Amino acid sequence: MMWSEKYRPQHMIDLIGNEDARKSFVEWFKKWRKGTKPLLLVGPPGVGKTTMANLASRDFNFDMISLNASDVRNKKNIQEILEPVLGNQTVLGQPMIFIDEVDGIHGRSDYGGVEALINILKESTIPIILAANNGSSDKMKKIKKVVKTIALRPLPPRLLRLYLNMILEKENAQINPGRLIKLILESNGDIRSMLNSSQALVTGFEPSTERTFESLDIEEGINAFYKSQSIAEARAVLYSMRIDPREKINAFYSSIITSSISNLEMENFLQVISEADLLYGRIMKTQEWRLLRYLDSILLGLYKKDTTIRYSQYNLSWQILNRLRWDGSKFKSISKNISKQLHISSSTFATFYLPYILFCMKNNFLEFEFDETCDELIEKEIGLL
Amino acid sequence: MSWRKITMKFDGTCIVCNKKVNANEIGLWSKGLGVKHEKCAEIKELRCVICDNPAGCLQCEFHDDCDRSMVSQLCVCKKCETLDNTFTQYQISVKDKFVL
Repeated sequence: MMWSEKYRPQHMIDLIGNEDARKSFVEWFKKWRKGTKPLLLVGPPGVGKTTMANLASRDFNFDMISLNASDVRNKKNIQEILEPVLGNQTVLGQPMIFIDEVDGIHGRSDYGGVEALINILKESTIPIILAANNGSSDKMKKIKKVVKTIALRPLPPRLLRLYLNMILEKENAQINPGRLIKLILESNGDIRSMLNSSQALVTGFEPSTERTFESLDIEEGINAFYKSQSIAEARAVLYSMRIDPREKINAFYSSIITSSISNLEMENFLQVISEADLLYGRIMKTQEWRLLRYLDSILLGLYKKDTTIRYSQYNLSWQILNRLRWDGSKFKSISKNISKQLHISSSTFATFYLPYILFCMKNNFLEFEFDETCDELIEKEIGLL
Repeated sequence: MSWRKITMKFDGTCIVCNKKVNANEIGLWSKGLGVKHEKCAEIKELRCVICDNPAGCLQCEFHDDCDRSMVSQLCVCKKCETLDNTFTQYQISVKDKFVL
């Protein structure tokens, strides 16, 4: 079990650092009544924003409805998801809404997400807590006007060491002082990241954790995925590749299609990619971004230990790519010239006319004169017929 | 990150203390980060949450890597760090000083 989960605080007092902020947070809950401004927790990742909301909902007997910004990405989603909750309190007990990563809500006017959220925040009838990593963008400035903001800061390294030593003691584990300091400094005040890295070090499992992979490009990500020694490690890599989902699917496709795996394996992998593609297509069509959370679980089906698959940018083999590049440009110039004579587009010529012309040339019904390089190409093409 | 001393043209919110920086007041501004009071910009020493004394930042082994203006403002001093059950001591102190 991950230490970050195993030692997730059970009470507000179990948290570490940001004592003032915690106090203000608890006071806000104690004083909350209808009409109280919602709360915005701003702070870097891993300082306890989500944990604080979870603990408060439990301590103050609220049923927390937890949403991510991807659930409330646009006006329609916000109205569909939040408004029923605000209007049916008796059915749902004592609801409380927690919206994480609110700085990720679409700010473009045609989506209207921020405006719709602000309207709800202005007239909140239940406790609403928002969390954001960054509070300085324009859309956040608009949101900040209608909420009470509590800033959470990264923890000082010595306080992090105190916390880590307590956990190491409970785990009966040791890390040499030099590595310990390095771990603490690399975490930049992020407790979750520090615990993940420490656990990796202690257990001898060196997964590329969230933080380290954030900075990797897609090539390194895909290669690390296929070099993983276990499915857990592959999952960690996959979940940490924060890139555009379309790019992710394409990268897996091009890497698999150009690899030299067996036909059966290829078939299975392509089936997985097809499922991922279907899901992404559905997300794009319906704008149901909450479904995105299932994409990585589908793509995990592409993992196989000790496989030869490595990242490839192009989804065609080099031979075909070369032919497309060099022969393609020559065909383009031929098509351009002849299509003018035939009053058709060059693409229509290349797609529908050229094969017949080549057949006619092969059977000596037609004769064309090309320059030397094109002649060679035409002969090669005729030979392939 | 460079901080510029400016005379505030408009009211702003100090990123350190979260209080208002009034127009015409001197503030320190940095592009993309915001503004802070002159007094908030002075590098302070963190305080020990257990004994309430200065945390001894100048002698701390993390001195060069700890951005004291950005981190949570309470820490533990070297002396308190060597106590038995320091974390429990920390929790007791937080419980006493902050009603959670």
